[in-house]
Amino acid sequence: MNTALKYRRVAVVVFSIVIAAVVQTTLFVHLRPFDAAPALVMLVVIGLSRHLSAEFALLTGFSAGLLEDLLSQSALGLWALTLTTVAYVVVRIRDRMEEDFSLLAPFVFGLTLGAIALFAVLGTIFGEKTLADAGLVRKILVPSIYNVALAGAVLPFFTWALGVRAATNPYQT
Amino acid sequence: MWRPTNVDRPTGVFIGLVVLSLVLVTVDLRASGVGVGGTMREGVQTVFTPVQRVVSAATRPVAGFFEDLSDIFSLRGENRRLRTEVIELERRLEEAEILEIRIAELEAILSLEPPDELDSVVAQVLAVGVSEFDHSRVIDRGRTDGITVDMPVVDEGGLIGRVVAVTDEVARVRLITDPSIRVAVRVERTGETGVLTGRGSAPMVLEMFNRDAAVVEGDILITADGRFPAGIAVARVLEPARSEVGFSLRTIAEPTAEVTRIDFVRVLAFTRDRVGIQDLEDLERPPVIIPAEDAPAEGESDEAPPVEDEVPTGEGDGTGVPEDTGEGAGG
Repeated sequence: MNTALKYRRVAVVVFSIVIAAVVQTTLFVHLRPFDAAPALVMLVVIGLSRHLSAEFALLTGFSAGLLEDLLSQSALGLWALTLTTVAYVVVRIRDRMEEDFSLLAPFVFGLTLGAIALFAVLGTIFGEKTLADAGLVRKILVPSIYNVALAGAVLPFFTWALGVRAATNPYQT
Repeated sequence: MWRPTNVDRPTGVFIGLVVLSLVLVTVDLRASGVGVGGTMREGVQTVFTPVQRVVSAATRPVAGFFEDLSDIFSLRGENRRLRTEVIELERRLEEAEILEIRIAELEAILSLEPPDELDSVVAQVLAVGVSEFDHSRVIDRGRTDGITVDMPVVDEGGLIGRVVAVTDEVARVRLITDPSIRVAVRVERTGETGVLTGRGSAPMVLEMFNRDAAVVEGDILITADGRFPAGIAVARVLEPARSEVGFSLRTIAEPTAEVTRIDFVRVLAFTRDRVGIQDLEDLERPPVIIPAEDAPAEGESDEAPPVEDEVPTGEGDGTGVPEDTGEGAGG
């Protein structure tokens, strides 16, 4: 990989995670259909991890999670652990994935759902009382559905932004 | 470097990051949200605040448009409810005016000074938590505006939450719906005390310790004297209380303020001396006041057993009510 592309990827990663965190915490103050919002930072981590090297993808997940921890009141490291796991799952499965949205949609849904459930369990283990939240199922399901809806735009964007479209999409004419 | 032969490099990095995350969690929990974690949080929030202000200002009209759109469907019902409420409020206003006159007369007779109103700072919600499990809001007023940790936050409907972290520019408010927050309340109609616990987006749980105290639908719960100033509306009872296994009455109540849709709030300049509250934090049950051994047997005296000043007592049942307890990792 040439140096310019390397810097471009680092810039895309940093910029997109920061923007996702800012949008997640500001836009969804009032825009909350069914009293829930998409897990935007998680979706960005999924989008980035599909194309970055394995180690870089894991560090991206960890950093994005740490940023979420610092912007919330949850114990430092909970989101870091969750999003590192998300990145690891993407790294392990991505070779079997194609740009076909009919395959990506259930993948994004399942991963978001599993990751939020993992956070809820970890939060309870570490005393955050997340499982005491009575709207648990809705809080796991609705963001997963929103993430699938947004994935159609967000994932192709990262494919393009990271400059790897041709390499990972052999079916494109 | 030694590495198990069946662990590839990405898996090794993953395990390392998982271990690092667990160490961070442990260190942060042991520090109770202060220390390095607290400093890093304050630093990141300070850096993010200007960006959040710009994005919030830019996206507010868009979000407002969609919010208004969703409100259209409920306008007719809302209008009808508000008309009924206006009639009820007018009646209460008349009663309040009469009571005000009587209070002024009694104060004059007793030569009492009326209590000063609490100073307050008006703030606007700037940001929400990063996930659905984060029941907090960031408001656009901070240390420079005189806001400190533990101050109560209200809106026109009633209690919203309390400040749990503050930077120079912004403050983080933990909502009363957070499962880790409990609020000592009093039933406005009867004066009986209980504890209200958040359950996220579901109605809050009210626990009353006097089993003979009836609580009916529509009863307003106000803050008891504790971490919050007394008399602030907190919630409205949704169902009559029923007896549970054990010694308490339980029911559900909804916040009087629209906690999930707040925009402008008031931060009250009120902080309770924390002495005596710390010991009560993390209690699942209220402290039961046990009479001293030489106390008179039941029926011998009507006097209540002596209690600590910092522990508000339940009325007539000899039980104490805990302060609204905080959370493990505040701040």
